[in-house]
Amino acid sequence: MPETTQLPPSISPLSSEQERPFLQFEGVGQVFKSRTGEFEALRNINLTVSRGEFVCVIGHSGCGKSTLLNMVSGFLHPTSGSVTMQGAAIESPGPDRMVVFQNYSLLPWQTVNQNVALAVKAARPELSAKEGAQVVEHHLELVGLLEARHKKPPQLSGGMRQRVAIARALAVQPEVLVLDEPFGALDAITKEELQEELLTIWAERKPTVLMITHDIDEALFLADRVVMMTNGPAATIGEIMEVPFARPRSYEVIQADERYGQLRNHALDFLYRRFAHDES
Amino acid sequence: MVEDVEMTSMVTIDNVTQSFALKDGGQYIALKDISLEIKEGEFVSLIGHSGCGKSTLLNLLAGLTLATKGGILMDGRQVTSPGPDRMVVFQNYSLLPWQTVRQNIDLAVTNVLRHLSSEERTELVYKQLRTVGLSAAADKFPRELSGGMKQRVAIARALAIQPRLLLLDEPFGALDALTRGNLQQQLMQICQEAGVTTVMVTHDVDEALLLSDRVVMLTNGPEAEIGQILNVHLPRPRQRLEVMEHPDYYQLRIELIGFLQQQRRTRQRRSAVAATMATSPSRTAKVVRLGYLPGLDVAPLAMAIDSQLFDPAVVQVVPESFADWRRLEERLVDGGLDMAITSATTPLQLNLGLGNQPGQKRTPWAAITPMTVSRNGNALCLARHLLDLGIEDRASLVEWIQARDKPFTIGIPQHHGIAELLLRHWLTAGGLNVEEHIAFTMLSPLTMVGALRTGAIDAFCAGRYRVAEAVEDRQGYVLATDLDIWSGHPEKVLTTSEAWAAANPEALVAICSGLMQAAARCDNSNQRDEMTRVLSQPQWLGTRSAIALTRQFKTGRGDASPELLRFNQFHVDRAHIPNRSEGTWFLTQFSRWGWCPFPTNRQELLALTYRPDICDHALAEAGFQALPAPRSTFALADGIPFNADEPIPYLKKQLQGSLPPMERAELPATSSQQPVLIPTA
Repeated sequence: MPETTQLPPSISPLSSEQERPFLQFEGVGQVFKSRTGEFEALRNINLTVSRGEFVCVIGHSGCGKSTLLNMVSGFLHPTSGSVTMQGAAIESPGPDRMVVFQNYSLLPWQTVNQNVALAVKAARPELSAKEGAQVVEHHLELVGLLEARHKKPPQLSGGMRQRVAIARALAVQPEVLVLDEPFGALDAITKEELQEELLTIWAERKPTVLMITHDIDEALFLADRVVMMTNGPAATIGEIMEVPFARPRSYEVIQADERYGQLRNHALDFLYRRFAHDES
Repeated sequence: MVEDVEMTSMVTIDNVTQSFALKDGGQYIALKDISLEIKEGEFVSLIGHSGCGKSTLLNLLAGLTLATKGGILMDGRQVTSPGPDRMVVFQNYSLLPWQTVRQNIDLAVTNVLRHLSSEERTELVYKQLRTVGLSAAADKFPRELSGGMKQRVAIARALAIQPRLLLLDEPFGALDALTRGNLQQQLMQICQEAGVTTVMVTHDVDEALLLSDRVVMLTNGPEAEIGQILNVHLPRPRQRLEVMEHPDYYQLRIELIGFLQQQRRTRQRRSAVAATMATSPSRTAKVVRLGYLPGLDVAPLAMAIDSQLFDPAVVQVVPESFADWRRLEERLVDGGLDMAITSATTPLQLNLGLGNQPGQKRTPWAAITPMTVSRNGNALCLARHLLDLGIEDRASLVEWIQARDKPFTIGIPQHHGIAELLLRHWLTAGGLNVEEHIAFTMLSPLTMVGALRTGAIDAFCAGRYRVAEAVEDRQGYVLATDLDIWSGHPEKVLTTSEAWAAANPEALVAICSGLMQAAARCDNSNQRDEMTRVLSQPQWLGTRSAIALTRQFKTGRGDASPELLRFNQFHVDRAHIPNRSEGTWFLTQFSRWGWCPFPTNRQELLALTYRPDICDHALAEAGFQALPAPRSTFALADGIPFNADEPIPYLKKQLQGSLPPMERAELPATSSQQPVLIPTA
């Protein structure tokens, strides 16, 4: 059983009408078969995520973080146990669950506008052309890319490309946003700017977010809870940390909070002492 | 003034400026006026945002490039070219791919340590490999190694030739967090064992804190300079995870992260302000309404107008005289004035929304100061009858005040201003409880002498010529001057709005340049008669007051006039520089007296307020050499040294060990968010 760190009370992401679990992992295991035998990636994952919650998953490489999220996206089915959304098992990918990867995955021959518009059209066919265009424009504005809308991805910086990817994912208005280390390739300044922007857009409609990161500061800034994974094989949830800081957050305010260092050290202790990875 | 150098420094970076030619014929100034001493065995990190010139500085230390201005000394000799006493390790390892690990190191050793026999060389290579734990990989090729291993080879190679200075350019930037952590730990042990002096460029705050004795934080480029230096006093030997559990760790980390964030916001603010300004250089001279209060401090303004030192093609200065500071500031804020000569504390007060009355708050207003107009010039003048009571120095004054049952009333030109700060400091240092025994009364400087005569006040603090007036009238005598409290303190500064400065850069430089040229004349004793003639004009000081200037400054105590050289300082000793360190001191005092919390974002606030960049342009325009603000420690009357990099420990000492309230200061809105002030006519 994962233990929950005892920390000062926080704002509860649960409100009364949302008590029914939104996203649930029950006894989830994942075993991959290969020619050389079986590889048990995940074992006995139990996690309940409420609607609108922002959850970060942190762990060393090979701890099955991506495997875990791929089951939410519907790219992968659990070998044992179940992953359900609002009570129904997740069978396949769908526009209610959008994924953003580290490598942006934009279509390089299409403009920024077209990249976003394409996703909106596919996911929300009920919108008129005019409504669709408005949705695209609104989301590009949110990430400050209106001026670059007619550019193509190769003309953009990494930070701008990731902004397009985020705008595209959110324009579809998914219930769940899955972010697989979206800012891992960015420099510190751009990263911080994108984190702030992400929180701003997230606050607009509050989709449920599951995000993989290696960066403890990022997790403490963004998340309501941080799920810390043990090392693979047979990785599982080692601990879940509640992040008690009030929203809207600023780095300055939370880092000045004395709990910040305690939480950060706790996470570092987990990752680099209790579940340290040997460098080979 | 100058901080003593306790240990002899091994490396001296002396006032280095580095610029590069641009294709369009212009210059890109990457680094500006960098001065730093590095001691033997010290580990110093350079941190800052990309483009801040940290790698440029490292290349200068390596001797790969030569400074445009200034220079670098190592062991007293100038660094002009690369040499084996300084080894650089780059992020990309720079190993020769066709040579094995052993060969890569051996090549360096053979080239440098030629006096060694081949056995000795081989032994050295293996020793280095053992040090970095790579003996087993000696015969592998770089491509067979992980990134972390490659970097260990690069470090082993650098250390094999026993350099005096190790230069690391983001050595672990390309590695994942885990590998990075392990390598940092190893590097620290190696450096410590080898006792090698190290300078490392990094953007990782935890890395900087773990490894460094000092972290040098650079401001945004272009024209990057040293913004702050953090002493990392964490005990050694350090362990990566344990160091984070030290009670001071997160405080230090906040200093670093806060600095970087404030730099980022300063950059955003500058570009936001610049973006709103239409660049339409006008063909006609800009009419500039400049407010002032009559006083000796306005001598440069009077001289500049009289001698037509403001470039008439660019500006037409319309001086407007005021009788009190409150009215002047109101006009400045409502746009009735374009700029004003104000108390040195005013720009920060405006930005913080700190009013001129006790407890008064106002809407923060984005103010900047591009230059200091005058330094020193204040005196504390006591009512004449106190002299008969034998009050001749601070000790007797304090004793007398403490013995009486009502507060001692001192007239000051404004609350929260420089005069009040100096008096509070000086009296407190003399053992007086200022809050209990002193009543500060705000008076127009014009009415001070009258108030002293009627007994409404016991003393006043004002400029030299008001005091001279009181002494001439035998109403008062001088107990102290600001030379006794803080010699060289900024007294009056030029203040304008951030928006006006951004919209009228040429006019602002022309005005500063005119004031600077005039200030040089004011400091020139040969020009004294000329200065008196100008100030005698009725719009400045008038005949009577100006005549006081021609005599030696009398204290009214019967003793010989003290030599008050530089009692008013306008130009010499880098007088014009708007110095952030001085601003930092003001912030400590605002907080010391409980007027506002100490701002956690002081760098951002100071970067908004103090604009040495404009000062530099104006100095160049005026034909003077632009010198950097001294980064030295200074002490005031209480003898506690003030280091602008460490204001909190200073403040704690003044507050007898208690920590002042700290809070993020909400900066005033930028011009784009403020109503645009349209000049009338």
